[in-house]
Amino acid sequence: MHVPDGVLPIAVSAAGYATAGAATWYSLRKINQKENPQEDVPKASLLTAAFFVASWIHIPIPPTSAHLVLNGLLGAVLGYYAFPAILIGLFFQAVMFQHGGLATLGVNATIMGLPALLAYFIFRLRNIVGRDSRMWTGLFGSLAGASGIGVSVVIFSVLLITFIPAHIDAEVERASIWALSLSHVPLIIIESVFTALVVLFLHRVKPELLNG
Amino acid sequence: MDWIDQYADVDSALHRWEPRHKLVGLMSLIFAFSFVQDLRLLPAMLAVTFILYLVSKLPLSYLLTRLRAPGFFLLLVAVWLPFVSGSTILLRIGPIALRQEGWRELLLLVAKFISILTTGTLLFGTASFLSMIKATRALGLPPILADMTLLSYRYLHEIGGDLKTMVTAMGMRGFRRRRLNGRTLGVLASLVGSILVRSYEQSERVYKAMVLRGYGRSSRSRGEFQSCPRDTAALGGVLLTAIGFVVGEVILRKLGG
Repeated sequence: MHVPDGVLPIAVSAAGYATAGAATWYSLRKINQKENPQEDVPKASLLTAAFFVASWIHIPIPPTSAHLVLNGLLGAVLGYYAFPAILIGLFFQAVMFQHGGLATLGVNATIMGLPALLAYFIFRLRNIVGRDSRMWTGLFGSLAGASGIGVSVVIFSVLLITFIPAHIDAEVERASIWALSLSHVPLIIIESVFTALVVLFLHRVKPELLNG
Repeated sequence: MDWIDQYADVDSALHRWEPRHKLVGLMSLIFAFSFVQDLRLLPAMLAVTFILYLVSKLPLSYLLTRLRAPGFFLLLVAVWLPFVSGSTILLRIGPIALRQEGWRELLLLVAKFISILTTGTLLFGTASFLSMIKATRALGLPPILADMTLLSYRYLHEIGGDLKTMVTAMGMRGFRRRRLNGRTLGVLASLVGSILVRSYEQSERVYKAMVLRGYGRSSRSRGEFQSCPRDTAALGGVLLTAIGFVVGEVILRKLGG
């Protein structure tokens, strides 16, 4: 789900940078409101690296395999650090592995990062119903995982099909967006279950990781 | 694994170019390339990219390796364009028709992709990755973002090594990722959870070590980079080239055709 360089018009790339800039500003503003904002920087940094590494793990989906996006999990664990973490992760991917691109970095950060923030807000709802409950932790973890990748898929599909420079009619365009989104449904289900399992693991082993 | 800055110690004009100037210059060029929509500008765009790559003295194999994976994705996305996009039919074989507009779009996408990706490779392949991150910080990247980028990069290899060891250990204990079922997902979720817990615990030690060394108290060192007139001249030249593409595109659009 990385939009490569050269595919989108410059206006969309610029709008992506503007959205990513606003989301980064909002996240940093929230982080700087903490008593000691620097205290969490090493934690967020090492977890950013850990998420980046974790996305290398492939899940078998016979006859092939797919890697997970994990942006919902990232939102649940990192909170307001999620957007900067995704921006950094995508920057590494663009520079080191040419997944995505430098001109489309803002667009890709928006595709992955805004749903991660949404996932954080959804996961935070468990504080209302009871953060110590395994059932609620699993349920909100699952919702965070599904919403993270689900919203990303929708934004990605709409952007790619609407702005790729093609002379295709509106009906075909709408059908393509639906087809591309629906093809990701198995991945959304897997990511939802996987996020719930990881969140339950953390709830059992290191609950403070989920209380950020 | 091949790292982007594996040829950072080659001696070339691009390697000697001061990182802040290089960042501003080549990023401007990347955005100018993104702006191009007219096919008549593509030869000039590819020529500028080719000349820059020649100047960098980087091996061609290095670029081809970097183009391979994203190129495959681009083809998947764009290969259908000549068959579905546009109304001017060039050739019809049964139900399949090749369309002129689609060919033009495919050509544009591929040329822009090659130029932008090559310029990005030049940007981060002709200096150490660390110095490029420091250059972004010197150009005004927020301190929290800069610190996170540097620390993440520092621990990326280490955590990657941890993951490799854990996957090997799982394999030796009989775990095989062949089928998608609850057990496979559960084991992989525990693996991801363990990586997160280990990183979190390590981060607590890292923070204490950083505080002991004065993290958060001392002011940032200034004057990490020093530029000379040659760097400024190179930046001026590249900026003029970038502006040239933007102006050329605007003129060609007005002229139409």
